[in-house]
Amino acid sequence: MKLALWSYQAPAHIGVCKAAASFANIHAVLRAPKGDGYGTIMLAMFERLGVVPPISVCAMSEATLAGAAANIPAVLREIDARLHPEMLVVTRSATAAVLQEPLDGEIGMLAPGDIKAEIFMASAHPVRDNETSAFALTLKEIVAHFAQEVERTPRPSVNIFGPSLLGFHDHANLASLRRMLAALDIEVNLVAPLGAAPADLRHAGRAWANLSTAYELTAPVTAYLHERFGTPTLDALPFGEAGTTVFLRELCALLEIPSARIAHAARDAKLLWYARTVDAHALSGKRVGAFGTPTTAAGIARVLRDELDMHVEFVGTYVLAYGEWLRRQVADLTANVVLTDDFRTVAKLIDETRPDIMFGSQMERHSASTAGVPCAVISPPAHILNFPLGYAPFVGYDGANHIGDVVNQTQVLGLEHHLIETFGPRNQGRFAEAMPEGHDAPRPAAAAAPQPPAAGRPRPQQPAAIPAAGDLRWDPAAERLVSRIPFFVRKKARTNIEKYARENAIATVDERTVLAAREQVGG
Amino acid sequence: MFDSCAETIERDDFCSLAPIGWLHHKMQDSFFLVVGTHSCQGFLQTALGVMIFAKPRFATAVLDEDDLSGRDVLEAVQPLVEAVVAEHHPGAIFLGSTCTPEILKMNVAGCAKPLEALTGVRVYPCRLDGFDPAYTQGEDHVLQAMIGRCPPTDDKNIVILGCLSAIEEAEIRLECAAMGLPVPAFLPNESALDLPPVGPATVLAPVHPYLYGSVSYALRERGCAIHQTVFPYGPDGTRAFFETLAAAFGKAVSYAERERAAWAACLRDVAVLRGRSVSFCSDTMLELSLARTLRAAGMHVKAVGTPNVYRKFHGPERARLEGVEIFERPDRFAMFARLSADRPDLVVANLNIANALEGLGFNVKWSTELTFQPIHGFNGAPSLFGLFAASIRRHDALGRTRERSQTAATPIDLTFFREPARA
Repeated sequence: MKLALWSYQAPAHIGVCKAAASFANIHAVLRAPKGDGYGTIMLAMFERLGVVPPISVCAMSEATLAGAAANIPAVLREIDARLHPEMLVVTRSATAAVLQEPLDGEIGMLAPGDIKAEIFMASAHPVRDNETSAFALTLKEIVAHFAQEVERTPRPSVNIFGPSLLGFHDHANLASLRRMLAALDIEVNLVAPLGAAPADLRHAGRAWANLSTAYELTAPVTAYLHERFGTPTLDALPFGEAGTTVFLRELCALLEIPSARIAHAARDAKLLWYARTVDAHALSGKRVGAFGTPTTAAGIARVLRDELDMHVEFVGTYVLAYGEWLRRQVADLTANVVLTDDFRTVAKLIDETRPDIMFGSQMERHSASTAGVPCAVISPPAHILNFPLGYAPFVGYDGANHIGDVVNQTQVLGLEHHLIETFGPRNQGRFAEAMPEGHDAPRPAAAAAPQPPAAGRPRPQQPAAIPAAGDLRWDPAAERLVSRIPFFVRKKARTNIEKYARENAIATVDERTVLAAREQVGG
Repeated sequence: MFDSCAETIERDDFCSLAPIGWLHHKMQDSFFLVVGTHSCQGFLQTALGVMIFAKPRFATAVLDEDDLSGRDVLEAVQPLVEAVVAEHHPGAIFLGSTCTPEILKMNVAGCAKPLEALTGVRVYPCRLDGFDPAYTQGEDHVLQAMIGRCPPTDDKNIVILGCLSAIEEAEIRLECAAMGLPVPAFLPNESALDLPPVGPATVLAPVHPYLYGSVSYALRERGCAIHQTVFPYGPDGTRAFFETLAAAFGKAVSYAERERAAWAACLRDVAVLRGRSVSFCSDTMLELSLARTLRAAGMHVKAVGTPNVYRKFHGPERARLEGVEIFERPDRFAMFARLSADRPDLVVANLNIANALEGLGFNVKWSTELTFQPIHGFNGAPSLFGLFAASIRRHDALGRTRERSQTAATPIDLTFFREPARA
């Protein structure tokens, strides 16, 4: 057993479901206890889908433990009849794998023609694979399954691999790439998995080249297409303004088309000019750290050094299988490459090196704010904040502009300290009260402030923040009760209670007054 | 009790690890150690928002290949428990067993006593699997473990069972004082070591409809008198709750006037709800109680889906819902068909399908919020009705804006991602 508080990566079955559900007309079926299906809730909430997510859970129950069959044919039949997908991708969670149910056997007993959709057993391993490797494998398998022998498109075209549901700013990244490719008059043959139907996948082999938005997710599928169709894959990463120009120039060379129109594609790019303006001069030599997926860490680190003249202190990733790839990508930026999937190691590194700005995932944002270091979020794991309604790409020329904004805002505002003060562990939720000092308390930014000892002992009652006005008295029980009201409504509640007390000629506020006021006045 | 319903193909539900969210906030000296897979850890991280607050008082002991192939559980879990004790100094550790240990028949519960002896810290073993229970029943299993450690007594005391906020507890305390009843004890309290005495004369009053298991356990193991009535949601339910409590002590108290006053305090919201229709999708197990009080407030309850119905335990609620169709563990597709036929003004639904139902044109109140808002008692009634009325007001107001501007709120569906760039 290993103690786990937080992980960068979800379990393998989430990776399979994410990849499969991102395709059009493909439905994922997960054999697992119902609780393991939480990926569907993330999908519904984060992507704000106005339809039921295309993932179904064939739930294990007490009856399963007593030996009942999985009854997966009934689930497949139901989804087939109601939703008419072209393919049903079946996978299982680690818990289901432990039970070693003969799912294949059960599915094999379906009568031919009983189900119109193709049934596909994903081969990712529920325990040995992780979210990234399971996603990458499933993407490759499904593309390989449908791809047919086809002619190249008459005009230059590309496949874009990587964008998916629950991805990190993926819809905007895709829009940014499409916008540039349109300016260069390059056709998009296929985007996968996001929105690709089996009919689209059949002609995957028509593209002249493959592009990737996330190397660690697409390496298997592009290698497969290279082997089968000879389609080359562009190695450059489309991060930053200069980086994007290099990326497009390599693409033009690969497609053997003139590169003159790149300037047209770059017409709105501002990052390199921003870097020349006096506003950005202060960025020179600022020490930065970048931690995330191999692709985002490598891409962002290069922008920060090459385009903003910052000093890269360290680069790192939690996708350990691509550690060496990352090392090669950033060899000229830093020798300090951190490979770890333990967020505490990264937190410690941030605390020790104290970069001027940290670039990482939402977890680094938290770790950095605890250490008093400003942090910009540039990498998965995706958080609800990474699904903005507006246009916020990280790749291409539009992405370069956005990266400039992110650097600018992080640098100027540095609000993190206030946020952690306000929303830190001691101030959250319904039972926001009497959290023992020195237990969950965030470390002060300025360090070395002595922590009160006696973990587990309740904090002595503080006098209320708002002094009771003039004639009104508060008895201790009422004070205590009000101190239990969540902090963000406490002030309003207090005002309402005192108003109620005065209107009802109550001289001393007691618990009854608090309750009566809440009921009558609200708050 | 857990007969699986032939109709059920898909359920929309969380894992019963979810109550750790409110239980660890309530019990400030607790630590929840969950023995399970990476999925359990991922669920806790996702559902409980650990992302922002990275030093939580809960963690997962993730099973590795050695554990799966029969390694001794105690030997494996002991160093982890010691690490938790050293770093967090908890007053008590809740050692949760999940689906995988249940499949492997690992004796996680059996580790509690030896771990307690080794560390000197109280260890409550509890089953937190996600097979059949509704997710709220995770609290039920935690409380059951705590009841087992409550000191015995022969006194006729009152134990209020179920996690409440301080303000909800205060109302119960004050009402008991007003009725001349013994000072009620609560379970859980702010310390996980603060356990009320429980014995054969104890009047055990559950405040949540999902506490069937712990109530049955107390009845079986301690012979408690069970306070059998509706749950204290809404003025009607709260009145019955207090009157029944008084009756257990031979007092005839009428709360008729108090109920009337409480309804009066809710008038503004009840006026919005009255005459509108509502359907419940299955989720929190609060469905029967909430449907009952919304009906009392003048809403038409079209259909109630709920994860599990216990005949006797939920008998008083069901009696007040006569004529309303109740679906135990309904299938998602069948439920959608019923909603399409009924077209209720308001649908109460789980986060999994809430947006999808909005996409189909329904007005949805997300049900999860109802488990962590203080809505119990006369005092919580305005909040309770306020939550539902706010959904209706909001829906109406935004509907007027869309109508005035002649702009549709087009749902994001899967074809959205097939279209070329909109930027």
